[in-house]
Amino acid sequence: MKTEYRIIVVGAGIVGCSIAYHLAKFGESDVLVLEKNYISSGSTGRCAGGIRQQWSSPHNVLLAMRSVKLFERMSEETGFDIEYKQGGYLVLSYDEREASQFEENVKMQKNLGLNVELLTPNQVKRRFEYVNVEKVLLATFCQTDGHANPHLANFAYAHAAKRLGVTILTHTEVLAIEPTGSKFKVHTSRGRFESKILVNAAGAYAGQVASMLNVKLPVESYRHQILVTEPTKNFVDPMIISFSGNFYIRQTKHGHFIMGQGDKDERPGLNYNVTFRFEKDLARKICWLLPFLRKLRIVRHWSGHYNMSPDAQPIIGESAELANFYYAVGFSGHGFMLAPAVGEALAEKILFGETKHVSITELNVDRFEKSIVRETNVV
Amino acid sequence: MVRTQLLVVGGGPAGLCGAIEASKRGVETLIVDEGVELGGQLVKQTHKFFGHEGFYASVRGFEIAKKLKDQLNEHVKIMLQTTVTGIYEDVVVLYDRQNDVTLEVQADYILLATGASERFIQFENNHLPGVYGAGAVQTLMNQFMVLPGKRFLMVGSGNIGLIVSYQLLQAGAEVAAIVEIADKVGGYDVHLRKVKRFGIPILLRHTIKKALGQERVTGAVVVQVDENFQPIEGTEKEFAVDAICIATGLVPSVELAAMANVKIEYVPELGGFVPYRDQNMRTNVEHVFIAGDLAGIEEATTAMIEGRIAGLTIAQLIKEIDLSKEIESLQNELIEFRSGPFSEKVRRGLAKFFPQRVVEYSREPQTDTGPIGKLRPVIECYENIPCNPCQTSCPTGAIEVPKNINSLPRIDYEKCTGCGICVSKCPGLAIFMVQENVEPGFDLVIVPYEMLPLPEKGERVIALDRDGKYVCEAQVIKIVRFPHKTNLVHLKVPAGFAAQVRNFRVKKRESVFVCKCEEVTLEEIEKAIDLGFTDYEELRRYLRVGMGMCGGRTCRASVLSILSRRLGKSPEELLKGHFRPPVMPTKFESILRGESNEN
Amino acid sequence: MRRIFEHPILKRETARTVRFYFEGRELEALEGETVAAALIANGIDVFGETEHARPRGFFCAIGKCSSCLMVVDGEPNVRVCITPVKEGMKVQRQFGRSDVSW
Repeated sequence: MKTEYRIIVVGAGIVGCSIAYHLAKFGESDVLVLEKNYISSGSTGRCAGGIRQQWSSPHNVLLAMRSVKLFERMSEETGFDIEYKQGGYLVLSYDEREASQFEENVKMQKNLGLNVELLTPNQVKRRFEYVNVEKVLLATFCQTDGHANPHLANFAYAHAAKRLGVTILTHTEVLAIEPTGSKFKVHTSRGRFESKILVNAAGAYAGQVASMLNVKLPVESYRHQILVTEPTKNFVDPMIISFSGNFYIRQTKHGHFIMGQGDKDERPGLNYNVTFRFEKDLARKICWLLPFLRKLRIVRHWSGHYNMSPDAQPIIGESAELANFYYAVGFSGHGFMLAPAVGEALAEKILFGETKHVSITELNVDRFEKSIVRETNVV
Repeated sequence: MVRTQLLVVGGGPAGLCGAIEASKRGVETLIVDEGVELGGQLVKQTHKFFGHEGFYASVRGFEIAKKLKDQLNEHVKIMLQTTVTGIYEDVVVLYDRQNDVTLEVQADYILLATGASERFIQFENNHLPGVYGAGAVQTLMNQFMVLPGKRFLMVGSGNIGLIVSYQLLQAGAEVAAIVEIADKVGGYDVHLRKVKRFGIPILLRHTIKKALGQERVTGAVVVQVDENFQPIEGTEKEFAVDAICIATGLVPSVELAAMANVKIEYVPELGGFVPYRDQNMRTNVEHVFIAGDLAGIEEATTAMIEGRIAGLTIAQLIKEIDLSKEIESLQNELIEFRSGPFSEKVRRGLAKFFPQRVVEYSREPQTDTGPIGKLRPVIECYENIPCNPCQTSCPTGAIEVPKNINSLPRIDYEKCTGCGICVSKCPGLAIFMVQENVEPGFDLVIVPYEMLPLPEKGERVIALDRDGKYVCEAQVIKIVRFPHKTNLVHLKVPAGFAAQVRNFRVKKRESVFVCKCEEVTLEEIEKAIDLGFTDYEELRRYLRVGMGMCGGRTCRASVLSILSRRLGKSPEELLKGHFRPPVMPTKFESILRGESNEN
Repeated sequence: MRRIFEHPILKRETARTVRFYFEGRELEALEGETVAAALIANGIDVFGETEHARPRGFFCAIGKCSSCLMVVDGEPNVRVCITPVKEGMKVQRQFGRSDVSW
């Protein structure tokens, strides 16, 4: 078995596979992706699959817009249907300060070329008559936001990368990494591998991988719970989400409603258990918002992790402490939607020294030495 | 008011050909058609036409429609979704359905090519939805690619009944039976053989007695008839079908001709009431011409020739040029085409309008099936129909259709190189290749095949005889696909069966389900494992197996055992997947009720 | 599923989906289809009733037999087998004779 590669990527989630696919697409297939479990076992396979461009920082908006362009082509490019749909995102605000921030955001987003609208509660009711708009102060809607099936997208990138010559080893856990100056010696549960370049795309485990190299990446993993209902015929197109209201919900292609909310009492750490408390809290909230849900049955309830950074924005770049160590971590709950653009950007940076479509220099870890401006549009 | 030199009513094969010939000579032409596209009945014909090369032999009907449309030049105006509602004393009136408005037309000449409509027959409950004209089923199937049922009963064994039955098989439907009230099949022998070799029963001297069902067809009762076509009590048979296709003949649409004062005569051989016309397709009203099924129920090929004759005659009159040579040549084509035994009825009918002529042809079938052991074609074409693509397609001139296209073909086995081109070109799918002892203990049979699913190389299939009955197992050793969609399948059969095997059936892939909730089959799981999905959870996310309402309780063990078998790992070595609550799907309402009880 | 997706001879032309309504139900059709074909594709075979309350539906497909009359966008007696589907069209069964509004 080949053990020396030019590049090793740790993590075969959507980010790791996107990086590997884009590396191979740009001509470099001497790449090994190491996955400690099965493909789509991590956060990618546990998320709701939402894809939005409505962010509060211009940087995130641009990154997301580039991602959407790549999502639009993904099925065709990889030959794998990822069930991508631009059903739109309806963002509801219940808070005065948030509502006026939305007005600012929309101006900024429109300036960057995003087709987003501000909607009054009445307008929301007229367009989406199944929504209870009581207490809604303001809403925004962007038709080109949407969703896809995160498992299929993960498989799509993985299979496309493999077809282009990338090696992906599942059930291969990285146990220790030795940087020797000229290369990285990676010790795994299936033997030792070596590479000139190492990429940390380990999602919830990003902090652990970083510490194997004694590099500080300020990320913490927090459990988030999520559940799904039985299917009905499709009639809800957009993802309906609220930051002040703390919920998100969408209807999948197969008719199920997938939904979740954040828990401010959640402590950092890895936890795959689920609580009934979550079902009770969410039931109350979501049935009030969408009364038609009352009669629907919950079919499955599970959890995954957000890998949080101090400002809820991803940390991407090359380490200043350790040459040839790259990372794409800390996605704080929006890794899936940014993965295509991030994979492309990081592959460009690694191979050509600079990105060609979106800039990621502002997302490097050194930004925390300056000030922290938090991305607020997060559930 | 629209003025035009030639108004063509009906944009089917006859009307299009009339418009093509007239407009080629500069005649200003307006084609009016009721449909959403031009082509008439051609648009729904997926089978290859007979006739000879100059007349689109071996080309599929819908492709002929495209070719004809492409030949319309700048002198032709087209109005679609428009009906000619009347030929009045003063003017011709059109109704444009798109703009919901009437229009008046003045034309120097009118070519009526309004075709025919399906003959309706009487039986109990014949009003039920699900009782459809065969042409209607063809429209749904071939123009819109919608199947109105799964299992059909075909009433009528003329060419339409036989062709539509075959097309139903191609579309993935079943044909329970074809019933024919006469004592012999009405259509071409080659069309009959095409459906017989799929095992469709043909019930002669039978007719439909009753359609079953309340809101729509759920079954049919057929009954045997005596020499006087009366039902014989006690011979009823019931079929479970969800659609009944009526293919009992066509009736020319003579309304407009009658309004124009054209003489309408009763000529049963031509389909009933038909307008009078001469050899140039001109009626007794000197500016009114007719062509196609309106002039007599026949075929698309004769419709096209009649349309051309009409168009040329009109052009000759308007432009005062001499086109008599072209017209005569086409009239000779019609004579040749109508010389065979099938056209005897049509000739008798047409004789009421003008004398008929026939040309001689050869009725001798070839009895010699060539040298045993050599790879060679066997042409199972025993009926005189006007057709000769086998002759024109043969690169070495080994096939001859002597004298004229109605003759039976003969092969000179000395000249034949065994290339097989004739097999895929024959519109009747009547040619097969055989080679005895292609290897010790085996014969080779090559059959033309136009069905799905196509087998894969190496696959074992069930070989069938001319009646669609089981003969033996065969192995597919090669498949040659052609862009014109008549594929050649090479079958290796046990020695001695070369003379019997004329079709095959892919072994029915009955569904073997692993996950009933999400309907995932064993085959899909095996394929996914082949593609590299080797974890229970990966299979679950890729195929949705286990994501249904039962939470994987019915299928998890099966999937793990399949993985264990395929990967050669013991169950302990496999990840068994996650277990998620709630174990029984629970309504939000129940949780809210529980919570309010707690508080 | 009544749509034919795989055929040994014909290829399905890619067509835009068009949404229309059958008695309030939103249905999907393909651009270029007639209303009758779209209804049958969606499993609807009964297009209305005769004056004596017998179910009736599609028959000849070419606008001749008048078996397929339905109410389209409020207009009765429409031959749906030759009427192409348009976005937002409202189709209803016609029971017996048409209604006349004043």
